[in-house]
Amino acid sequence: MLSRRTLFWLMGGAAAVAGGGIAASRVGIQPEPLAPPAEDEAHHLLWRNWSGIQQAYPAERAAPQSEADLLDILRQGPAPFRAVGSGHSFMPLVPTPGTLLTLDRMAALRSHDQTALTATVQAGIRLADLGPALAAIGQEMPNLPDINKQSLAGALSTGTHGTGATLPALHAQAQSFRLATADGRVLECDATHNPELFAAARVGLGAFGILTEVSLRNSPLKRVERNVWLQPLEQTVQDWPALQARHRNVEFYYLPFTGMSAVITHDETEAEATPRPPTQDNDAVMTLKALRDWLGWSPSLRRTVAQQLLKTLKPEKVVAESWQLLSNERPIRFNEMEYHLPREAQLPALAEVIAAIETGRPDVFFPIECRIIKADDAWLSPFYQRDSGSIAVHAFYKDDYSFLFEVVEPILRRHGGRPHWGKLNSLTAADFAALYPRFSDAAKIRRELDPEGRFLNPYLKGIFDV
Amino acid sequence: MVSGLQRVRSATLALLLVLAACGKDQPTPSATELAARHPADPHLDQLYQTSCKACHANAESGAPLVGVAKAWAPRAAKGEAVLLSHVVDGIGGMPAGGQCFSCTPDEYRALIRFLAAKD
Repeated sequence: MLSRRTLFWLMGGAAAVAGGGIAASRVGIQPEPLAPPAEDEAHHLLWRNWSGIQQAYPAERAAPQSEADLLDILRQGPAPFRAVGSGHSFMPLVPTPGTLLTLDRMAALRSHDQTALTATVQAGIRLADLGPALAAIGQEMPNLPDINKQSLAGALSTGTHGTGATLPALHAQAQSFRLATADGRVLECDATHNPELFAAARVGLGAFGILTEVSLRNSPLKRVERNVWLQPLEQTVQDWPALQARHRNVEFYYLPFTGMSAVITHDETEAEATPRPPTQDNDAVMTLKALRDWLGWSPSLRRTVAQQLLKTLKPEKVVAESWQLLSNERPIRFNEMEYHLPREAQLPALAEVIAAIETGRPDVFFPIECRIIKADDAWLSPFYQRDSGSIAVHAFYKDDYSFLFEVVEPILRRHGGRPHWGKLNSLTAADFAALYPRFSDAAKIRRELDPEGRFLNPYLKGIFDV
Repeated sequence: MVSGLQRVRSATLALLLVLAACGKDQPTPSATELAARHPADPHLDQLYQTSCKACHANAESGAPLVGVAKAWAPRAAKGEAVLLSHVVDGIGGMPAGGQCFSCTPDEYRALIRFLAAKD
């Protein structure tokens, strides 16, 4: 892959050769989005989410070391209490004027059962730390999301998922959890103890209480072979059913304005681990951005140059332990909308999304991600009783992301999509009630546990307290 | 007959392909060396281990690496107040707060000093 610096230089040449293109291009340094004040009038420090679009000035910040610490904080601190994992939610799940909690000090592996292949971990552990901790006891999570920064509690509470026709989202692997509640108790929840709360709060948005500990049903640690290759989107669309049937994990990205897609598969193998070359993903994204910046004024030139550049990329094949390959470093910040659709609606919806973007939004460059997720039975799971195909559309963090609402969301909603809880959407309580058969049951249980709404910030009040 | 646009495309592609291999990699400390670096103060170390380390001890993150003076010199030249505002606001790949959600401004300053300290 070209280095970014080289590519910018080359794009300058391309635009100059084209003549006049520079005037119409986005050449130049894009400024950082305007930051809010570092403190509010009461000198409370600014909190922002990972992408920078959500913000708050919590009156208190707390990092409990134990359940006892946490219960003290819940008794004495100002509400609303909101727990932050890694701040990767683009929706206002975390902002609070009350107490911002981090479980970073409750992040240890507590116990495991090698016969049953289970492990009990404190809920604050980050996925990047959970992978090696489980590997050390010969276990792995059967599926993982693309980014490795999230906390386990955050990932479970928002319905975070990986990809694979037979693999459900992460919360489906939680066989029990402990929940600190508004009235100062810690409840054990599983299929037999508090079973309704277990069903309702497994994807709980931090609205039922604070997850402190989770028992995970894991798999034996395995090596997987990762293959990445580029091919025309038409080919991928044609192959998609067969790819889903053939590979343990499979996904593809459409590279906007190129006609090309990147297919990524992972399959179990007994082969020895191979050296891992440095990731090309981030340079690839910035290459697409450079193409947008310099050649966005000419879709045909942008497509031609992109296809020639992409031809220089060789397929990638790597063998490593599963946790080392499924979750990745994503240092390029973005905002994102992701909807989970009935599996059969995924490709028709994708075709509409691509057509809408490529006819009206030449500023879009981030790859569009398509994954598949098996159904589960958590009441607020976007995959509740439905095998799903997801479509995720991203916008660089410095770019306008209004097109996600104006162009993309209407298509995804028309195809019956349920949004990822942590990703951009404009849905209301009535919309969620229509999409989730057990939504009102979950809201009722939540109200009984927390009648004063001590875990509800304004956004969650709008969802649950209506 | 070759159109003007085709000539533009051909010239562009030729330029791109001829110059496509100009990138250079910068040497970085080994992963083991990076992982071994940590603040001496136990409290600061706990904050570092659960936040900064995930990126600043990971060459794939693109962040300036812990203790690599060459990476920190241009940043340090801006002064501690500017660096603190970059931490609080976020900048580039650096998310606001640097993933330390319980840090005070003084703890951020101490972490900046540790990260930028020495090669």
